[in-house]
Amino acid sequence: MKPRLLIDLDTPSARRLVALALAAMAPATLAGTSINQRAAADPAGQVEISNISGSVVVTGWDRSEIEVTGELGEGSERLEFSRADQLTRVKVILPKRSSNVESTDLIVRVPAGSSIAVNTVSADLGVQGVRGSQRLQSVSGDIQTTVVSEDLECKTVSGDVRVTGSSQRSLTTVMTVSGDARLERLAGEVNGNTVSGNITVSMGEASRSRLRSTSGDLGVTGRLAGDARLDFESMSGNVRLDLEGPVGAEFDLSSFNGDINNCFGPKAARTDEYAPGTELRFRQGAGGARVRIKTFNGDIALCNK
Amino acid sequence: MNQGPSGRPDRLEEALSQLPRGIEPGRDLWAGIAARLEPRSDPARVRAVPRWAWAAAAAVVLVVASSLMTATLLRRGTATTVQTVPAQVAVPSTAPAVVPAAASAATAAFGPGHRVGPAYLANRRVLARELEGRLARLPPEGREQLAKNIAELRRASAEINAALELHPGDPLLEELLFNIYQDEILVLTNVDRLIAADTTRIPL
Repeated sequence: MKPRLLIDLDTPSARRLVALALAAMAPATLAGTSINQRAAADPAGQVEISNISGSVVVTGWDRSEIEVTGELGEGSERLEFSRADQLTRVKVILPKRSSNVESTDLIVRVPAGSSIAVNTVSADLGVQGVRGSQRLQSVSGDIQTTVVSEDLECKTVSGDVRVTGSSQRSLTTVMTVSGDARLERLAGEVNGNTVSGNITVSMGEASRSRLRSTSGDLGVTGRLAGDARLDFESMSGNVRLDLEGPVGAEFDLSSFNGDINNCFGPKAARTDEYAPGTELRFRQGAGGARVRIKTFNGDIALCNK
Repeated sequence: MNQGPSGRPDRLEEALSQLPRGIEPGRDLWAGIAARLEPRSDPARVRAVPRWAWAAAAAVVLVVASSLMTATLLRRGTATTVQTVPAQVAVPSTAPAVVPAAASAATAAFGPGHRVGPAYLANRRVLARELEGRLARLPPEGREQLAKNIAELRRASAEINAALELHPGDPLLEELLFNIYQDEILVLTNVDRLIAADTTRIPL
């Protein structure tokens, strides 16, 4: 079955990615050197891609080969395209002490079962149709990817992260410093850490999740698995959990300075007559799930949809 | 002699009056009591650090040490890799410090009377220094973002510490503070690796 395009074209970074990809397919009209290379590859091999600036689009296909197209930025030394056993490496090599290098746009087609590791500095990164594990890193570029059931790890400093799952259980880990993360249609385990970015997660069935922020907001929507363990923590960001379907869980919510709003009924109480903290511990339904939310200044909202 | 409500002598009071007025202890207990009442000379030891805090601090140090070792090994393994900065991300080498030396050398408190420890501070300094060396690769707005976020982490830890001064031993505050110190190390390590990664091999 042909993989469906799940990249959201409404966002500026996605539009830029597509525009760059299309532009890269018409090299005659642009400066720089066009790239068109192809090599046989293991259907479940590993692919490493590295490009400092520009864009990288990785697409999974049903062939046992890797194809690299696009445009090598003017001033770049060369494109390394090598294979050793199961590992294929695609890397933009820049000359030493270069001061004037244009950005490079890469479109890489890999066997759908490949595991990929992509690293960029300011290049935006888009992935679709890859069924193997993904390790995606960018300093300031945005990351957009689709994930099936393998592990995904995304790290950025200021870039935003957008992940679309297929509601199959997987392990997703996202770390940003100031970038926002929007994670949708995920199931299984989702872990995230940010300083000032906002993390929004929509899970089909949440079984494990640990999210932490310093000043960014955390928002999670999903259905609780019977043995779910959710642990959210924020210093000054707000935390909101909207649960779908029947809820059977033990809740442990506490905030030092923030408010606790609970749609399930029980009200939060002061922890101490002389201290500002409030806490709320209660059980809802008969399930064995556990939800723990802690904040310093941030508000906590717990609701059922 | 006292009489009870019935007017008869109170036998209980009589029995009590026959008891000895004092009992001498078998040995001199005062030396032990005085030693426990005497104030301690070391103010840092006024309050014992909880055992879990030491274990947690040890875990942080272990993680940092292993991260540094990995980073060092990775750099050694790729010593011949081309290192270059494209025009789009090149910045002047006189970039202002994102993690100022004074800030990275600042002590990290754990509420009143506690210090996180020299090993944590030393590791934080090393990480901050390494990161500072790589920051020239970031565009100015990237450095600005990073500086803002590191300041945000420091602000949060200072705020929780201030609250701990007023409410010492609050378990929520202690947990949040411990995690914020961990987060700072995590951010420094991750950003350092991200910036370094364009010239190193990314392990799958």
